[in-house]
Amino acid sequence: MVVFTVLLSFLLMHLTSPERGEISIAENLIRDIFTPLQSGVNKLRHNWGGIASVLNNKEVLSQQIQVLQKENQELKIENQVLRESQAELKRLRSLLDFQSDSLDSYTLLSARVISRSPNNWYRYLLINKGSKQGIKKGMPVISPEGLVGQVGSVSKKSAQVNLITDREVAVGAILQESRETNGIIEGHGDSNLLRMINIPYYSPIKKNDRVISSGLSVTYPRGIDIGVVKNISPEPSGLLLSADIEPVVNFDKLEEVLIITGFQPPETVQGAEDSEN
Amino acid sequence: MRYLLLFLLPFTAILLQSTVFSFYSIKGTLPDLVLVFVVFFALINGARGGTIYGFLCGLFEDLYLGRFIGVNALSKAFTAYLVGHFQDRVFKENILVAMITVLLSTFINSLLFFFLALFTHDIFNVDMNIVVAVIYQSIYNTVLAIPLYLWYYNSSYQGILRPTGER
Repeated sequence: MVVFTVLLSFLLMHLTSPERGEISIAENLIRDIFTPLQSGVNKLRHNWGGIASVLNNKEVLSQQIQVLQKENQELKIENQVLRESQAELKRLRSLLDFQSDSLDSYTLLSARVISRSPNNWYRYLLINKGSKQGIKKGMPVISPEGLVGQVGSVSKKSAQVNLITDREVAVGAILQESRETNGIIEGHGDSNLLRMINIPYYSPIKKNDRVISSGLSVTYPRGIDIGVVKNISPEPSGLLLSADIEPVVNFDKLEEVLIITGFQPPETVQGAEDSEN
Repeated sequence: MRYLLLFLLPFTAILLQSTVFSFYSIKGTLPDLVLVFVVFFALINGARGGTIYGFLCGLFEDLYLGRFIGVNALSKAFTAYLVGHFQDRVFKENILVAMITVLLSTFINSLLFFFLALFTHDIFNVDMNIVVAVIYQSIYNTVLAIPLYLWYYNSSYQGILRPTGER
């Protein structure tokens, strides 16, 4: 019995891997059975949250409103300035004949988070959009705050998004200000901390520097916020540095995400142009 | 009815772990209720039944997770086999025995899972976070095992989980 179990398990492990193109019929079926149930539990939790907030102290609520109103005013002013800068950037880009790679040039599809990984080893989210809505494996996923991860597998009605905090995920990153330092962001299974490795020892990296995606990997577009540098330490070799990065996205509280459906990595675009020529 | 409930237990465990428990995690660590139910089953029904039940529950979890299929199946089957192997030498009616069994089983299962995940290259970036997560999970599982085992034990000898032939 034990030998049979071991052999069967190893056979299954041999036949399956995360790199496979699509998930099997059984996995698809199980996920689609769970999806409406998880959506239902999520709705219940939301409704309960609504009831709880009504029961909250009025004073606390009015304080929250005041804080939000103040924040809203500040954001409106910031938005005005940014709109001006964007218009200027567009004008300058057209003068230089530059191809825009900012986020507004991508097609975004919003999705609701319906569940999270049920174990401690993997870090992923399950969203309520799947192959029916055009989601495909490998699509980058973001939130208004920054980079979330990448679609790992897709079923008809849902998709699994591997978070950048997952132990298997790595993202090419640069420092937003200096644009000099290239490194790799790794997940360590911790929602509150990422690690940036392979930073050259001469890098001008310092505490509180913002880190964004470099666009060098074919997986993620360039310029998406990842996090802020918290600690810098030398790697054992002495030639490289590594840094603790605090992610800008609160992965534990994510309720909605945006999937970049129209992203084509630079190589693919180049390849297509080559084949056209 | 017994078989339906034996299926519904891991099913509900996965549903709750992926929704409700993610908001009640201890420092980001979730319990493994599927393992808790597998350990209970092996403790009461022995090595043979436990191994099969552990394998099927683990396989179900693997199919839900959609990564390497067989990792959870093997780790849970082997953990259940070990628990079942020693089950006739312990006082099953003692809640302390169930708690210690769940605590040790969580360590064994995590260790097996870890080596299998390394073997299949399903996990990179190994660090101390893993050890901390295993310790927290062991405590979480053990605490949850107290009310759950009281119900499970009674149900296995007098209630719905009692094998049909013994009624």
